[in-house]
Amino acid sequence: MSFDLAIRLTEILLGFAFIQQSMEHLYGPKQDQYIFIIRLILCLGLFIGFATHLLCLALALNTLFMLHRFQGPYNGGSDRMGILVLFTLCFVHFLPNLTWQYLAFGYLAIQLILSYFIAGSVKFKNLEWRSGLALQDVFQFSAYPVSESLRGWADKPRLLFIMSWAVIIFEMMFPLMLLTQTTLIIGLGIATIFHFANACLFGFNRFFWVWIAAYPSLFWLQNHIL
Amino acid sequence: MLQTLKLLLPALIPSWRFFDWIAPSPRIEIKVNNDWQEFRPRPDHVSFPTMMKRMVWNPYVNENLFLASCAERLVDNPADQHSYEQILNRILADINDQKVTSLQFRLAFIHREGNALKKDIRYVSKIHDVSGAQA
Repeated sequence: MSFDLAIRLTEILLGFAFIQQSMEHLYGPKQDQYIFIIRLILCLGLFIGFATHLLCLALALNTLFMLHRFQGPYNGGSDRMGILVLFTLCFVHFLPNLTWQYLAFGYLAIQLILSYFIAGSVKFKNLEWRSGLALQDVFQFSAYPVSESLRGWADKPRLLFIMSWAVIIFEMMFPLMLLTQTTLIIGLGIATIFHFANACLFGFNRFFWVWIAAYPSLFWLQNHIL
Repeated sequence: MLQTLKLLLPALIPSWRFFDWIAPSPRIEIKVNNDWQEFRPRPDHVSFPTMMKRMVWNPYVNENLFLASCAERLVDNPADQHSYEQILNRILADINDQKVTSLQFRLAFIHREGNALKKDIRYVSKIHDVSGAQA
């Protein structure tokens, strides 16, 4: 995948992810809505592809307002990834030469790989994850399951043990997916299913869209380096 | 401005330590007619079509996740007025159609001890007179 195509795809996917988030905020408190109406207009421009370098800059400023308004990201990890993708695009648009632009975009790809690998590593080091108990806790008492009926999954220790190890192995093996384009497509397919399941079970829909927005950086890195 | 940049830094240099351990889980409880009840209890069941719809439209659950973060921040720093107001304003908006004259909320944290679940009350708000705040 060429650099220009990867950047444009990232803009389209991030634009869509931010449009989706901004629409949700229009349901929220009225005093916050002006931030998201502005954000929505900027994201539509980013999605369409109009003066995207200026729109990325305006969205970065809008993001600083958001961080100030909510005293941090509104939705933890998913907002952080969105901010990382956005600021990477800003650097790509405003850094003076191609080498620095490549480094900025490569940084996003490396962070995407680390987002899986580190998450898997910390689980692997934790006995409660290796035994399946951590996932049992997630279903039994965490704030995440979207319904009470899902809490019943806590009573299926064998299933949760298998699910825990599936997640650990996939996340830790993720860097190896870069070896060929075929393995990368398979890896990102599994990752997409993983985020889809998290969205269904725990309501993490924002993770799904914003992580996908970072995927073009991996296709570019794989094409560029390997 | 410096504070906002400090909030930006963890996004630019992330740690990615998702779910490295399962922390005590917050529940917001409100006192209505002298009874404590969970604020926004989750539904018994969510259908698959609803899950599909929530892929693109999920403001309520995402707001609840934000309130859970506010609850954690408030327990870490009881002087955090921002988190206090974010929680209080959402409760006020939700009880707008109920005949409530005073409002108080508390933050309960659930964790596992051995094989049993334990609930600790870690924060109790002051009592707010809301008789004039309702339609």
